[in-house]
Amino acid sequence: MTSRMKPKHQRLVLACLALFATLGAGGLALSALKDEAAFFYAPADVAGDLPSPDRAVRLGGMVEKGSVHRLGDGVSMNFVVTDGKASVPVRFTGVAPDLFREGSGVVAEGHFRPDGSFAADNLLAKHDERYMPPQMAGKMAPEMTRPQ
Amino acid sequence: MPIFHALANPARFQKLARPLTPLCFWAGVALALFGCWAGLTRTPADYLQGETVRILYIHVPCAWLGMGGWSALALASIAYLVWRHPLAAVAARAIAAPGALFAGLCLVTGSIWGRPTWGTWWQWDGRLTSMLLLFFVYIAYIALSRADAERGGDGRIPALFGVAGTILLPVIRYSVIWWNTLHQGQSIGLTGSTIAPSMLWPLWFTLSGFSLFFAGLVLMRMRAMLARQKVEARMRRMAAV
Amino acid sequence: MNPWPFVSAAYALTGLGAAGIAWVSWRAMRRAERAAEALRRR
Repeated sequence: MTSRMKPKHQRLVLACLALFATLGAGGLALSALKDEAAFFYAPADVAGDLPSPDRAVRLGGMVEKGSVHRLGDGVSMNFVVTDGKASVPVRFTGVAPDLFREGSGVVAEGHFRPDGSFAADNLLAKHDERYMPPQMAGKMAPEMTRPQ
Repeated sequence: MPIFHALANPARFQKLARPLTPLCFWAGVALALFGCWAGLTRTPADYLQGETVRILYIHVPCAWLGMGGWSALALASIAYLVWRHPLAAVAARAIAAPGALFAGLCLVTGSIWGRPTWGTWWQWDGRLTSMLLLFFVYIAYIALSRADAERGGDGRIPALFGVAGTILLPVIRYSVIWWNTLHQGQSIGLTGSTIAPSMLWPLWFTLSGFSLFFAGLVLMRMRAMLARQKVEARMRRMAAV
Repeated sequence: MNPWPFVSAAYALTGLGAAGIAWVSWRAMRRAERAAEALRRR
């Protein structure tokens, strides 16, 4: 059948196949790299096996409501990072970004301690894809705490 | 298809491009300026990010043009590979520089946005890294197509590169869904948006404005390339006589 | 952190980049079309 096609049509079919193959390859690479390309560990990811304490890793999730406790030295704090399935206690010393809030997203850079807690030396605030004026956010407050 | 064939005629293209260039350009500038003004002064601040959220109105159009630009470049490349019409190759080459600029502006405005919100200028997360790769792919395409034109190539190699580069588009699009990233998820999808309507509307003005402005730039660059080709062809003919 | 320096920097850089490429593209087009026109008249 192909032999009866005009060269122009052959090239069209070929080009479309090439395009779909390329887009598909991108999608495949995306799913194949799922673990390697993850920016951070979620608490549930490390529930079974902790990354070794001498590895610099990131831990991401929501800051559990009511878990932030500032320590007496003025620069340290404890809080709990959760993803709804598991949670990890974190100790951080330093200046937190403005958007670091309870019930909001956070990515902590640091390392795990053998006891399963996390020692953070830097915090990044992670916000979600919802944007709204303050009045509206007040109205939907319960929904705002939905873990990602 | 008849539309393509009509457009593929260079004389007819010139006739169409001449009035269309200033129209696209100035309509785009007007819409974009209005959208920026509205986004800076006529919308509420975000409940979490405050005024910083206003960077959205330029960051999103830049990202859209960076990715949309490559889609258009790839489609023009395919049209060239299939129909072998030189105008398609000209279009692909004309898209490259503005596309690279907006991909770069997307990275720059994103970085400026990241500092006050995330607390960092740059992180190697999936979305940021794949967008940076797209920027490099644009640069590589520009270098490749320039080298190809200088060596008198027929533009088939840059066109193949244009098709191959589309591999990045699904990676960028789905990086925030399939990988966990610092970058937040998609706000605007086919089914709706997670941006409050009172904050969303100027984005439509900047998106359409930037797109028209981009079209105006591409038309200008196509006309420049076609005129240069005409001069070169005439010089060669005169030298041959 | 005061957000306005960040917002204005982002808008200014985008404006500069857009104006820059518009200027370069327009000048290139005008030069090339004038050269083509001049050759045709000869």
